[in-house]
Amino acid sequence: MKRIAEFLVVVSVPLVVVLVALSGFAEEVNQNIEQAGYIQTEIWSKVNNDSNHEFLSSLKTTVDLESQYRLSDNWYFFFHPRYFYDFAYDIRDEFDPNQESMGNTQRTEWLRDCYLDYISDELDVRLGKQQVVWGQMDLPILDRVMPWDLSWWWLPDLADMRIPLWMAKVEYSPSLDSSLQFLLIPDSETTRVGLENTPFAFKSTNDFFKVKRRVESAGGSMNVSLLKPAKKFENSTFGLRWRAFAGDWEYTLNWLYGYSTSDYLYLDALKNVSGYLGSVPVGDYYYARRHKRIQLWGLSFNRSFVDPGVLEGLTLKGEFAYVHDEPTYYGVSGSRKITEVSDKYNYGIALEKYFFTKWLFALQFLQFITNDYSREGYKLLDNASYGLQDKVETYLTLKIKTHFMHGRLKPDILLVYQDDNSGRIVPKFNFELRDDLWVQLGYAHFYGRIDTPNGEFRNNDQIFSKVKYTF
Amino acid sequence: MKKGIFLIICLFFLILPSEVESLEYHRLYNLKEGMNADEIMKTVYHNKYSLFCKDITLKGKVIYIDSPNFFRKRKYIKYRMISGKDGIAYKEITTFTYPTEVKGLSLLVWSYESPQKKQDVWLWVPSLKKVRKISPSQNDDAFMGSDFTVEEVSTRKFEDETYRLIGEKSFAGYKSKYTGKDFFKGRSCFVIEAVPKKKNWYYAKRIIWVDKETGGNIYEEYYDRKGRLFKTIFRKWELLDAGDKKYPTQTTLEVTNLISKHSTVILMDNIRYDQNLSSGLFTVKTLMRSRW
Repeated sequence: MKRIAEFLVVVSVPLVVVLVALSGFAEEVNQNIEQAGYIQTEIWSKVNNDSNHEFLSSLKTTVDLESQYRLSDNWYFFFHPRYFYDFAYDIRDEFDPNQESMGNTQRTEWLRDCYLDYISDELDVRLGKQQVVWGQMDLPILDRVMPWDLSWWWLPDLADMRIPLWMAKVEYSPSLDSSLQFLLIPDSETTRVGLENTPFAFKSTNDFFKVKRRVESAGGSMNVSLLKPAKKFENSTFGLRWRAFAGDWEYTLNWLYGYSTSDYLYLDALKNVSGYLGSVPVGDYYYARRHKRIQLWGLSFNRSFVDPGVLEGLTLKGEFAYVHDEPTYYGVSGSRKITEVSDKYNYGIALEKYFFTKWLFALQFLQFITNDYSREGYKLLDNASYGLQDKVETYLTLKIKTHFMHGRLKPDILLVYQDDNSGRIVPKFNFELRDDLWVQLGYAHFYGRIDTPNGEFRNNDQIFSKVKYTF
Repeated sequence: MKKGIFLIICLFFLILPSEVESLEYHRLYNLKEGMNADEIMKTVYHNKYSLFCKDITLKGKVIYIDSPNFFRKRKYIKYRMISGKDGIAYKEITTFTYPTEVKGLSLLVWSYESPQKKQDVWLWVPSLKKVRKISPSQNDDAFMGSDFTVEEVSTRKFEDETYRLIGEKSFAGYKSKYTGKDFFKGRSCFVIEAVPKKKNWYYAKRIIWVDKETGGNIYEEYYDRKGRLFKTIFRKWELLDAGDKKYPTQTTLEVTNLISKHSTVILMDNIRYDQNLSSGLFTVKTLMRSRW
């Protein structure tokens, strides 16, 4: 109850103050201010009956407000706070205290956007906290500029999963349909994953803490240091993107240099080994989670076939990324032994077309290729599940969308298939009750071996519903 | 001998079927008595896509009349620049401003002069915060879920149908289902029958009432293959001041599906012509500027 009261004080009161202030302000400055927002409540319930966690996964309320102030024809300021509170963390008993950080907005994550925009025909500059998105696909091949919040796996909208960063983005257009983008990102955040035993905690996370408790109960210790790059200019991330047309093909060339947005686990030392628990030495483990410098070279392209013929109406998209020196886990099935850098070659091709008047079919084929399949006798592991990975991991995704009832009812289904026979199926129905009231009902089904990226959640199917009031 | 060949060539061109000339971009055409069906319809299409101007901006509102007491709305801002160069007829950007759930959704469309070519479409998706190249909607799909099809609002071209002038009549008038007001009673119109060239299309023919004064298609009746009337479209055309000219402009569109009894209304206001919009506005970069 105390937390609920805190929520009401921390969120509702300032929100009302801001709304009231802005509404008065809006009258004063009339057309120069534009604002919108929503209050959303969502409930996620686990369908499978096992002991991993209880039926209620989330009962979350989100308050979101977006405001734009037009300073002149060329200058704009945009401000976008968002706060959420998950009541499931009050209702459920089995959460550890550290999981409470999953129950509400942490640190500065309440600020989604806060930037100043300068726009002109030749030059656009955006300074402040923002998101930058690269690539054409709906899985991150080139979309590697921002860190991700993976605490709900890949189920939320991608824009909500990216963790915004403070940066400078400059876009220069030497000609009408080409532009050169330059990014300078002095800020850094770490890709976020679900904490132990939370609904979408990685198997690797849960396994790590299980071993930790066993080692500690046998007299050992496991210490993890979080090492982030020092806040220095030379540790900034730099990016360049050239976008142009070659005939009917639109393409980009991309380059990114900086620290990885994910941190990676390294065992720095194991001291005072006093015995073994099975094959696990009991002693004092000194782990560090480190970011490593990576470099990405990539390209993307798209073309819609607009001329008559068999391809008419088809849109073809693709992207490729070569990632140099990305930290990679190696070990045996279910157990990470070493972390080494390796080069990656990732690419995807997408086809999209409407059939039967109003059914959109979007098919993606993606491959993630790791240059070094084994190191020191250990095999390549998946980051999330620590399952053995192939040198080439292939994904197929299919999204089908349509609409009924004059656009009020919009169903869609996403099917993700990975080549080791795992994946997920997520059907959703969006319904417009009124202009300002929308509901969503959906289901997330996971299948596959437990040591595969989606299969690790095979006992964690979720049914979910959302009610969104917008203003 | 040379004179003979020259005469034969001249005769050959004279006896060719008289094809209607393409209308020039950035030039206004008026309907005249004695025009044939093709000439009338070319003018109608010229006006529909406002090819007479350099650019146009407007604010639009789509109203879905789900029942007499239940309406839903969408609001948008549209910018269109008429090109007539490099094979491009026009480029336009449409940005939704209401309701919040769709606010920020923006479409960049390049429409080509070639009647066979589909449109190129880019979409700014707020939930992805990125620009997606998307496949153009099919022409018989509902326009924004409304009772209009995509081609009725934005893709149908003169070359998609064959035309026959039925006659000249006085329009009986149209009573708006949204406002209850009467429009265009007694207006002198050309009445034209249009038959789609596509086989098994969603309509077999339409009867079009073209207002002689504005050059706009003020009323259309859609018939299926069995000859049943299943849809009507009313368009309010006005002559709006644009400097020293008066441009024909559709300010209201009202469609009724006679089978589902569902109606959709599109209202347009704040219409401004020839603002010298920058061609840089109609690029992917503009979509990438989106904030919502």
